[in-house]
Amino acid sequence: MIEAILIFVGLAIVFGLLLGYASVRFKIEGNPTAERIDKILPQTQCGQCGYPGCKPYAEALAKGETEVNKCVPGGTEVMILISEITGLEPKEMETVEEEDKPKEVARINEDLCIGCVLCIKACPVDAILGATKLMHTVIEKECTGCELCVPVCPVDCIDMQPIPLSTRNWKWPEPDETIAIETINQQSDINKPNQGEV
Amino acid sequence: MNAPELSSSPYTHNNQNVRKVMLQVQIAALPALFTHIYLFGFGIVVQWILAVMTLLIVEYVMLRMRGRPVLPFITDMSGLITITGLVFCIPPDSPWWIIVSGSTFALIFGKHLYGGLGYNPFNPAMLGYAFLLISFPVQMTQWTLPSSLSGHSISFLESAYYIFTGHIPGMNLDALTGATPLNSVRTGLSQGITVVDSIRTEASSHLFGLSSWGWVNVAFMVGGVWMIITRSISWQFPVGFLGALGLMSFIFNQIDPNLYPPMSFTLLSGGTMLAAFFIITDPVTASTTPKGRFIYACGIGILVYVIRNWGAFPDGIAFAILLMNIAVPLIDQYTQPRVFGHKR
Amino acid sequence: MSILASIVNKIAPIYPQAKRWLHSFNGGVFPQYRKELSSSQPIREPIIPERLVMPLQQQVGQPAELLVKVGQTVKKNQLIARSSKDANKALVVPIHAPTSGVIEEIANYTLPHPSGLQDVAIIIKPDHLDESIKNPLKVSGESPNNPKELKEILLNAGIVGMGGAGFPTYAKIPNEPGKIHTLLINGAECEPFITCDDLIMQTEANAIIQGALITAQALGSSKIICGIESNKPAAIKSMQKAAKDTLVEIIVVQSVYPMGGQKQLTQELTGIEMPHKAHAVDIGLLMMNVATFAAIHNAVRFGEPLTSRLVSVTGLGLAEPFNIKALIGTPFETLAQAAKPKFPLNYPLIMGGPMMGFKVQDNQVPVIKTTNCILANPPEPVEMQMPCIRCGECMDACPVNLLPQQMYWHSYAHEFEKVEKLNVFDCIECGCCSYVCPSHIPLVQYYRHAKSEIKEIHAEEKATELAKQRHEFKLARIEREKQEREARLKAKKDAVKKQAENKADSESTSKPKGKASAAAAAAKAAAAKRAAAKNTASGSADETATSATSDNIPPARRKAIEAAKQATHQASKQARDNNGNISSPKDAAKAAAMAAAKKRADAKKAKKQSDSLDNNKTRDVEPSVSKDPKQAAKAAAMAAAKERAQAKKATQKDTEVEQAPDLTTNLTQNTEETPASKKEAARKAAMQAARAAAKKRKADSQSKAQTKNAQNNEDASNSKQSNQPITEASSQQVDKQADRQTDRQTDKQDKKQKAMQLAKANAAKKAAERAALKKIQENSEDTQS
Repeated sequence: MIEAILIFVGLAIVFGLLLGYASVRFKIEGNPTAERIDKILPQTQCGQCGYPGCKPYAEALAKGETEVNKCVPGGTEVMILISEITGLEPKEMETVEEEDKPKEVARINEDLCIGCVLCIKACPVDAILGATKLMHTVIEKECTGCELCVPVCPVDCIDMQPIPLSTRNWKWPEPDETIAIETINQQSDINKPNQGEV
Repeated sequence: MNAPELSSSPYTHNNQNVRKVMLQVQIAALPALFTHIYLFGFGIVVQWILAVMTLLIVEYVMLRMRGRPVLPFITDMSGLITITGLVFCIPPDSPWWIIVSGSTFALIFGKHLYGGLGYNPFNPAMLGYAFLLISFPVQMTQWTLPSSLSGHSISFLESAYYIFTGHIPGMNLDALTGATPLNSVRTGLSQGITVVDSIRTEASSHLFGLSSWGWVNVAFMVGGVWMIITRSISWQFPVGFLGALGLMSFIFNQIDPNLYPPMSFTLLSGGTMLAAFFIITDPVTASTTPKGRFIYACGIGILVYVIRNWGAFPDGIAFAILLMNIAVPLIDQYTQPRVFGHKR
Repeated sequence: MSILASIVNKIAPIYPQAKRWLHSFNGGVFPQYRKELSSSQPIREPIIPERLVMPLQQQVGQPAELLVKVGQTVKKNQLIARSSKDANKALVVPIHAPTSGVIEEIANYTLPHPSGLQDVAIIIKPDHLDESIKNPLKVSGESPNNPKELKEILLNAGIVGMGGAGFPTYAKIPNEPGKIHTLLINGAECEPFITCDDLIMQTEANAIIQGALITAQALGSSKIICGIESNKPAAIKSMQKAAKDTLVEIIVVQSVYPMGGQKQLTQELTGIEMPHKAHAVDIGLLMMNVATFAAIHNAVRFGEPLTSRLVSVTGLGLAEPFNIKALIGTPFETLAQAAKPKFPLNYPLIMGGPMMGFKVQDNQVPVIKTTNCILANPPEPVEMQMPCIRCGECMDACPVNLLPQQMYWHSYAHEFEKVEKLNVFDCIECGCCSYVCPSHIPLVQYYRHAKSEIKEIHAEEKATELAKQRHEFKLARIEREKQEREARLKAKKDAVKKQAENKADSESTSKPKGKASAAAAAAKAAAAKRAAAKNTASGSADETATSATSDNIPPARRKAIEAAKQATHQASKQARDNNGNISSPKDAAKAAAMAAAKKRADAKKAKKQSDSLDNNKTRDVEPSVSKDPKQAAKAAAMAAAKERAQAKKATQKDTEVEQAPDLTTNLTQNTEETPASKKEAARKAAMQAARAAAKKRKADSQSKAQTKNAQNNEDASNSKQSNQPITEASSQQVDKQADRQTDRQTDKQDKKQKAMQLAKANAAKKAAERAALKKIQENSEDTQS
């Protein structure tokens, strides 16, 4: 009896120490959920989720205040990732981004620009250069393609243009297996009558 | 000129293909097949024909059901290797439904249900064999005795008749079948007969100093060596497997020769050589890294010895292989070769 | 080595893969070389085609800058596109005209690139005169003695690595001499079919060796090793002859693909395994192709830019394959047609060899500086792709020891981070794995795809990170601006709050105010003017009241504050100027008091203005207001017409002088400091007492007000209650005294001044005493609380 009690007390102490050690050793700093979500969000800062940026949305998600399917640029992929992190139920995307939409950047038609600075204010990443009454221009490298500047332009001089393909950003396509299978089918179809003859 | 379909280099090939590789394996099995026929009669030929017919039917149905092109996959010869392995494992004169059900199980559950060639984690032949071993233990352990032992050489037709009907008119069946050397050693041990004595009794049937099973094993080895030269299989598999098995038997034989059979007996009995060159070398289910292959083969060797000597089955190859199949991803993960320019 | 080699040679017929034991890197393959197709033929005479296409970008890096116009006549070797200023950064190489002719067009043209994309190219119509500029690079022919000079020449000559990768040669060379100890010459040429390096070694061995020696001299290298594959005996012989009695050491290496790979040949020649991610330069090695060294020689000795190169035109589809010194820009088809194709060239030609080359999307693409071979292999029936059977052949063949099969699995499944983890970026895309794959899987294309995907993922990650940072930066900026604005607001709000508190406190002190207003009323001001004044005063007072509760600062007040600040400046200056005359306003006021009613009204108005100002501005406004109206009233009553304006001004200034320090103390000092400032103020007041009673009084009231503020701030309501009567009393007393004094000093202005000063000094003293007392009291309370 005494031994059993001693053993269990001893075990309790050992496991308690282990747990205590683990909690110190493997301590997770900060609010990892919000940060982890923020990391997978596309950081376009487009505000289509109804929050003023990616981080606020991530924080709201971490608190469980919103749905997982609000990130339009991220699409279903990001939605699934979010639901994996938060443990919330995956939901169908309400607004669906065009599939395989090429990345676009804003371009200002500099002939039309009146220098109203409205787009500069709208840009979530300060990717538009310019000053009042002076022509504005988009820093292509920093543009996230959020399209927030498009509607605010009073003279409609901003449009979204896909990044032109050049040898520098050209990608090797994936070998097309469907074609391979099709040709196989064709081959087998061709071969069948032969087989029949044989 | 239309823009050509974009394809990447290289635009040349060594003209090797899957079919050729499989065919080489099949050819390498021929010496063993002939030896088998010579020593055990034509039973295996009947079994093999039965298995091929099963193979064709099963493959056709399965490929159709899976919506895959039938011809290229039915002719990839991988199924042939599977059933060849299985045919060598079952008693040559076992009933016809043994091989049919075994092949069917092996092909459907061992290969197609996992996505066909290249996607199966378990060796299909061994899966089929294990299925038979568990389902029909009596039939699976009743081996046709070598003609030299039974003193009767049965013809092809007799074999076929026996396989389909279960009896040959005017012949005592018990005289034809018996236990394999591995089995007799095991049963001998349980009856208090030492291994040495058991083997001595077996030795009476020896042909040029080797038992019939020993000769089949040698034939397998010949084919295997040819496969290594033609690079159909990697040398790591047989070397690792035979090395580990041989070393185990050597050590334990030194400890107690009465309890543990000698190395030569271990290496040349049962399906040792079949496994070493034809079964464990199946690349789909084996480890792929050079070190991994060696470890994988060693693991099987050790497990085979363990099961043979301390397990419930006379020959543990099927289970040893299946067990090591499970470990393959782990082995592959930890045996990645050092990439050029990288430090370990 | 030789024993092993002989053993291997004996085994090889039975076991061909035994040849893999003879080289230091893993794997490798032994394809059918078919080099005899083109190497058996002599080098052809150059062909000048109908048009030359010169893409602005022919190498890794950026396109060159266009220098010519359409219609312009150019001579051979003339610079037609130059490198940018910072060539090192942008990896730009200039382009020279390969022959004389006219610029026909500058247009987009299909590039010799696997993508078949188009880019800007200069199209030259040769005039077939081939007039050339001699020594266009203006070199002396002397060997440069330091890397910089050499780099300059190489840059101007537009030399790029001619082995295939096309990295600008100048960019490969380090700036400092002595960094490269061993120069390696790559004469391995392991690709099947290609023989251009073989032939250049046979025909221009001296140029290659000289080029290497020039480079070695410039770089201060002490060793030059040249590796040539054993299947080129003629080249080996000629190179050995040329290298006799020089630094150059010729090593014959095993014929195995990819022996010509930089890392592979480096290991074979030096035994050094190039570390991952390190460049050859980092470990003191520099490897260049034989053709590059020949080009270096021609550039340094004769000033010849790179305008042509040796190209193998070969393949199974050509009846007469050959090597040719092809002009850069010659269309592929022109050369292929010259080799008498066996079949119509309706299939894509391959640039480079069959292992690493690529099919061009248009057979009219031009020869560029990196084109070593034009391969015309008629399409063969493609073997069907089978599933991977994990046979491991690819792994055995991989020269960099990767796990091609596992990389394939992950690439196929789009698990790109796993592909990256398997070191896909160490893959040299040599094609050995695909070559041996029995399942005919296009492994290399999977890796190329995976690589471009991973690169894109990383670029996106970077962009995302940048976007995040920039967004956060923007938010921080907005936040900072907001805080700054809030800080300003708060400071003002504090001021207002105190003011409001003071107002509340001085509700009791409103008596003087009332008195003042009464006085004002009694002054019989001009109705219109007074009304106006009242309007402004009440308006601002209202505003003050509302602003005390609301958070916003009315613009009126802000303006007032601004005005006050400016005025303070001026006032303090003036105050300093007429130090002694501070009390004069009062005298003037007294004088004014005796003036006409009209004038009095004016004064009143002035006073009211100051009143409103006070209301708007500071916390001790009320006490000072209570005085000011009085003074003003008196002034209005007594002032002479002439002095009136002066008085007015002075009064205003006075109040402002007083307000300014308050304001500043309010803004800068915190409550803990106020006792000290109060004391100081009190002391100052005491010291100045003799000079100006009004000022003293003000100082007094200021200290009073501050006391109250301090009390309020500390929420010492009790002490506030107890203090209030005292403050009230003291202020009342002061007021009374002042009244009396002013009454007494009504007869003579000059004397009055002095007398009043005296009297006021007394009053001030008393006040100061009281203030001091209060302070002590308060301090004790402070400490208590």
